Amino acid sequence: MEIRVKCRCGEDECSEWAIVELQGVVETQASFEGSIQNLEIGRLCHTESSQETYTFTVGYHELIGSKVTLKKPLLVLKKLQLDDEVSGKTTELEVVGIIRTKILFKTRPKPLISGTN
Amino acid sequence: MAERIGGAEAVIDLKPGSSIPISYHPSFGPHDDLLLLEADDTLVSDIFSQRVTLRGLPDEDAVLCTKSKTFAIKFVGNSNSMFLIPPSSSDDDTNINNRQLVSVLKISPGNMELVEVSPRLDKLKQLLLANPFGAAEVDAMMDDNDDDNNEKKGVKLYTWTDLVNTVQASDEELSVGLQSLSAVEIDGYWRVIDENYLDVILRMLLHNCVLNYWSFDDLDEDEVVSALVADEFPSKLASHCLRVFASRVNSSGTGKWKLEPRLVCLHFARLVLRDEKMRLESFMEEWKKKIPDGMEGRFEMLEGEVLTETIGIETRVYTFSVRSLPSTPAERFSILFKHRSKWEWKDLEPYLRDLHVPRLSMEGLLLKYTRRAQPKADAPPVFSAR
Repeated sequence: MEIRVKCRCGEDECSEWAIVELQGVVETQASFEGSIQNLEIGRLCHTESSQETYTFTVGYHELIGSKVTLKKPLLVLKKLQLDDEVSGKTTELEVVGIIRTKILFKTRPKPLISGTN
Repeated sequence: MAERIGGAEAVIDLKPGSSIPISYHPSFGPHDDLLLLEADDTLVSDIFSQRVTLRGLPDEDAVLCTKSKTFAIKFVGNSNSMFLIPPSSSDDDTNINNRQLVSVLKISPGNMELVEVSPRLDKLKQLLLANPFGAAEVDAMMDDNDDDNNEKKGVKLYTWTDLVNTVQASDEELSVGLQSLSAVEIDGYWRVIDENYLDVILRMLLHNCVLNYWSFDDLDEDEVVSALVADEFPSKLASHCLRVFASRVNSSGTGKWKLEPRLVCLHFARLVLRDEKMRLESFMEEWKKKIPDGMEGRFEMLEGEVLTETIGIETRVYTFSVRSLPSTPAERFSILFKHRSKWEWKDLEPYLRDLHVPRLSMEGLLLKYTRRAQPKADAPPVFSAR
């Protein structure tokens, strides 16, 4: 079986996706009922400073991180399972995006004493 | 103030002093059909040039192939939470009240990594050696009424496309594999030629050399093919015979070939030995009888193809060809050490020469798979299984 990795765009036009990466797990409050789609997670801020620092505020936690250029880019692939009259069940792989940088939060969350920013 | 730009772009272009909210995407979910693949710049451009494929049978782990290399695919988990944020889309649900949001579509558990591996060419050997092309098929070929002879017998033959779909190797590696098996494409199918039949063609070629006073070093392809076709051999196999036993004289396509003494003599050595162990003296006698006049057979020509064992005062020789051994290092060493528990380097080296493992040198291979012992300082080192 041979599956060609397809892409509809060239390297330069390939849409760039983003990754925000943090240690640990973000959880919704125990009292929350309902689906999490559309729910706000937190606020990402690029700090006004000489260093390339970012903060991510989730609830009353503040994380500090930075933008990292990936040594090797990540390609976002979509796996498609198709059912063809002629060739039966086939699988296709398509490149839908590329990721060159990520915002990485490596520190332990700093609890914010006051609730306002 | 409403932000106009959303999606991944908003994260990537976020200016110092600015901030944006990040939410779960309206379609947030596992999205198991979305995978992350780590790829270096070379692979990235290969992929965008549509030159990359996944190959393998359903029961095998898929490999990724570029035009010339083969890679195993490993999943590397990440215990961090990787929020995957797609670019904004105009017809997206994230466009609410004309304010586009930055939305997390999925939390990726990790990504796939590629590790370069040797092509799995042992399967190619196995598939093609199952049905070598021999004299019986030639007769059928010449007899036009018998077109579907092989199909009738239920024999499985392989086209290039069949091989691509079955063997886990890149196109270039597959071609090299076919070349090293001296395979030839007949009627669209890749075949290895039965050794006995090849012998018949070679003998006829040598016979014609004598008859026509052709020099071994200056054979004309057209003349050779005409003569062999006149003797009722298919022209394709006549040409193939040259490719197996000769090499081109300068590559300008003049159609001139020179017979390689080593290949011709090796062929006759194998014919003499067959599956037996012969006394060295008897073998040398029989071998010299078969070698054509004008060629000299030297025992060194047979390294990597025959082995000797000395029992008492007698030395015996037998066929042990590197080409019959597995191409993966672990299996290769296993068979070698099962055959003989201790090897001197001079005997072992010809059976390792063709091993090419990414990221591993010969020293590395020996370190990994063998134990080296040197009984006496002035004696050669001896290798055994690890």
